[in-house]
Amino acid sequence: MTHDFVVVGAGVSGLTSALLLAQHGHSVALVEKSGQTAPLLRGFSRRGVHFDTGFHYTGGIGKGEPLDVFFRYLGLSDRLSLLPFGARGFDTIRNVRDGFEFRFPSGYGPLRQNLLQAFPSERSAVETYLDAVRSACDSVPYLNLDASLDARGGLSRVFGPTLKETLDSLTADKILKSVLSTHCLLYGVAPEEVAFQQHACIVGSYYLSANGIAGGGRSLATAFDARLEELGVETHRGCEVTSLSVAPEGALRGVRLADGRELRCGGAVVTVHPRTMLEMVPEGAFRPAYKTRIMGLEETVSAFMLYSVSDIPLPIFSGRNLFVLPSADSLRDLGNRTLEESPLYLTAAYARPGDLPRGFIGIFPMLPETTRAWEDSRKGNRPGSYGQFKEEITRRMENLIKRYCPELAGATSLAETSTPLTVRDFGNSPSGGLYGVKHKVGQYNPVPLTRVKGLYLAGQAVTSPGVLGAVLSGFMACGNILGHDRLIKELKRCR
Amino acid sequence: MTNLEIIGRIDRSIAEEFEIDMEEMKPEKTLFQDLGLDSLDIVDLVIVLETAFGFKIREEEGIRKIRTLGDIHSFVIQKKDELESIPR
Repeated sequence: MTHDFVVVGAGVSGLTSALLLAQHGHSVALVEKSGQTAPLLRGFSRRGVHFDTGFHYTGGIGKGEPLDVFFRYLGLSDRLSLLPFGARGFDTIRNVRDGFEFRFPSGYGPLRQNLLQAFPSERSAVETYLDAVRSACDSVPYLNLDASLDARGGLSRVFGPTLKETLDSLTADKILKSVLSTHCLLYGVAPEEVAFQQHACIVGSYYLSANGIAGGGRSLATAFDARLEELGVETHRGCEVTSLSVAPEGALRGVRLADGRELRCGGAVVTVHPRTMLEMVPEGAFRPAYKTRIMGLEETVSAFMLYSVSDIPLPIFSGRNLFVLPSADSLRDLGNRTLEESPLYLTAAYARPGDLPRGFIGIFPMLPETTRAWEDSRKGNRPGSYGQFKEEITRRMENLIKRYCPELAGATSLAETSTPLTVRDFGNSPSGGLYGVKHKVGQYNPVPLTRVKGLYLAGQAVTSPGVLGAVLSGFMACGNILGHDRLIKELKRCR
Repeated sequence: MTNLEIIGRIDRSIAEEFEIDMEEMKPEKTLFQDLGLDSLDIVDLVIVLETAFGFKIREEEGIRKIRTLGDIHSFVIQKKDELESIPR
């Protein structure tokens, strides 16, 4: 069977790539290891409550904003209904030690106003920061359809300055700095490591607007599935790719599956973790320098997660997330802190779409190394000491949550927990990084083009985490095939 | 480290990491035409040099001017000189 293109991996970047290529008349096969597309978007249910694992909310999907334009172009918008997060405060930052609370409202204007109200003597820092975030976003092609294609944010994502350096140059107010850095939990890299440019491109979309999707990640996965079918994308679920077949002259020839079949193709967009991609290509397809770079890519922090159900509705999480910082210093050295000194992210879980939340997910950053002692075990054969470790962490987490959120008033009970090993095994993240490969100053992440002719890379490692980052990576990869100018011209019609 | 040692280390690292014959490693050879690198290799080249010499390259200007292996020699020697002149 011959296709124009095979897309490997049906996460958001793979789904986007498959739709883009099919929309332009190419015959496309999409191959996914799991029994269904977008497994991470679909989450799981316990005791009647659905817990989203890959998608909680997104920025930049308000009318005319980048993700809205992408979704309309991909034919997804009409299949989705948005759940606007609290316009007056979609994210609450609760700083325990200083007894300080801040709410992030939707829109640059209201955000500026809230920040100036909370930090009246920091006018210049607030305004300079917000201007810098906006112009960083404006410099990125696709995020800004009018940006020059040559710009691509320059090399500032690698050269820096870091978020911390930028904030240190603007203000000495530790609380303000921690408030503006809190969203680093959305991409799992500490403020002293992430480039300001990278941080800005992610948080900038949330500063525009914050929305959930009715039905959560499952609805997004269903919308993608319907569109795949409409466009006739041949979707192979439950099929693992074992290797990529490369012709002697160095061009990609096909994709081999675990069941022995080979899907012949003119090109492939591969969206798996870059290290997994390396294992798929024949020896000699890449030079040692490239392989060393890919193998050396650092991963983001991982997490310990706790999933709780509640006997009573939890309005505290309705259209709103809660970020708890034990102190203004809690974001430094992310993951490598005691639980008691670690930040915590809390978000809603629902029994029925449209109702008030009936549960929550609590996420503590944790280094993947924490569970290294059990790394040779798999679900079903974990040793007893692993269970004890989970119980101990859970007990401490529950106590902390009780202390941080008196609003929950003991109405909740534990339904499930997950560790860095769970992230590794269910998230296809070889070392358990919650967001896969890190984007940090000094690290050169892969780009869509490779030395193997016809092999393109997409996925969060190329751009940034989150639905917006993954969709963006699909456009960047397919732009190399379909023409960036052409895609951008067509996207402009969807503004 | 003497300039000769620096040049030796550059040549060995690049030859090994990009699978180029050591005999090809002559200062006048151009990276793209003679040594078979392309624009996709530039990032890897930067990392090979950073790893070999333990410094970080955080500028685009110096790198952009590089055309030949000899240009790399001069770039690294100059960078080493700059680093060594910084009082510790």
